[in-house]
Amino acid sequence: MTYHFDFAPIWAHRDLLIAGLARTVAVSAVLVIALLLGIVVGTLAAARRRLWRFAATGAVEMTRNVPLLIHMYLWYVGLAFLRLPPFLCAVLGLAIYSAAYVAEIVRAGIAAVPHGQSESALALGLTRFRTLRFIVYPQALRIVAPSLASLFSQLIKDSSLASVITVSELSFAASAIESDTFRSFEIYITVALIYLMLVMAASRLVLLLPGAHRPLLRVRFADA
Amino acid sequence: MPEVILRNLPFLLQGLALTLSLATLAAAGGTALGVVVAAVRYGGVKLAAPLLAAYVEFMRGTPLLIVLFICYFALPALLGYKASAFGAATLGFILFTGAYIAEDIRAGLAAVPKGQIEAGLASGLRPREVLRLIVLPQALRAAIPMLFNQYVRLVKFTSVASVIGVHELTGDAMLVNARDFAPITILATIAATYLVCCSLISLAGRLLYRRLGAPA
Repeated sequence: MTYHFDFAPIWAHRDLLIAGLARTVAVSAVLVIALLLGIVVGTLAAARRRLWRFAATGAVEMTRNVPLLIHMYLWYVGLAFLRLPPFLCAVLGLAIYSAAYVAEIVRAGIAAVPHGQSESALALGLTRFRTLRFIVYPQALRIVAPSLASLFSQLIKDSSLASVITVSELSFAASAIESDTFRSFEIYITVALIYLMLVMAASRLVLLLPGAHRPLLRVRFADA
Repeated sequence: MPEVILRNLPFLLQGLALTLSLATLAAAGGTALGVVVAAVRYGGVKLAAPLLAAYVEFMRGTPLLIVLFICYFALPALLGYKASAFGAATLGFILFTGAYIAEDIRAGLAAVPKGQIEAGLASGLRPREVLRLIVLPQALRAAIPMLFNQYVRLVKFTSVASVIGVHELTGDAMLVNARDFAPITILATIAATYLVCCSLISLAGRLLYRRLGAPA
């Protein structure tokens, strides 16, 4: 091996890395949109009305089985006449793609709450919405918290694809630094480790959601 | 079928063939790697087990795009060889998927009751034989649904290989779009193609699981 390690050029470009990291965190905040959208669709997928169920499950399957890169290209290239900024295209693609996974987790979580729970709530006179809000969701959240944690780490890793549609996040910064310094090994290992730390932090963060503590299942970090 | 797709059909089919061969190679290599890694960690081999644990954690915390960059740019620079885009992508996908599959198989291994191992050892089998003849077959069967999930993910992930210049389906589609500019038609067509491929793999997984199932 004749390779000489030299991390100095990486350190010299630390401002690019920090800006990229900030952009990656910003893109990853689409978790909030994905959660909101996914909860609605997932609840519909667990509904009693067959029409809702079919529509929601169909939408989820169609979204999930198409690569994320295609989702991003769809907004960036397919709907180019809208002239959306690349950042928004990445956010839309990632939010919709991840929402499908959230929906599947939510559906499974609702199904795991025993039927008797919502039946007794309805019998006690709670409205449909209140039954969901106070009886079903809190129990489902505790069951699916570990899956949500791994989904969030998945989402952070997926956000790297935003670099392909020219969003200057962490991977984009890595490529820029690589072509500037040619220290390819040093820069990609550094960025990989930054992602690793980000993912570990994120999966712990999700478990801080109110009501998600003390999950019923064992937690596995950096999963999915 | 729209005219732009018909005209470029041979080219797109070539891309599809490359996508499928990349996915097949990576699925085979990744499964083999995953089984070995899981078995070594299960056996608690000194030195190797903690090293492989670190490998699994590293791969699962790193985006695929970065893994591909490492295989295409960093490793060749480090070790002084010239990588082809397809070779680098294959290596990257095997290393990436192998780590996830290793975890799936580890879960399957953990589900095999201890009594089975003790019974195997008591009936005179060597530890290696117990693993190969008793524990692994059950673990693999239990892991079928998770394995096929990984294969579906793999097919979708092959689209990322276009970023390092592999002319698979997505890369070809973007080339066709650059020439003939019909983005919505082209993207919808390849999206539908991925959808069909992924659904077929899921279906195959369900059928196989129903057939072999997990008796334990």
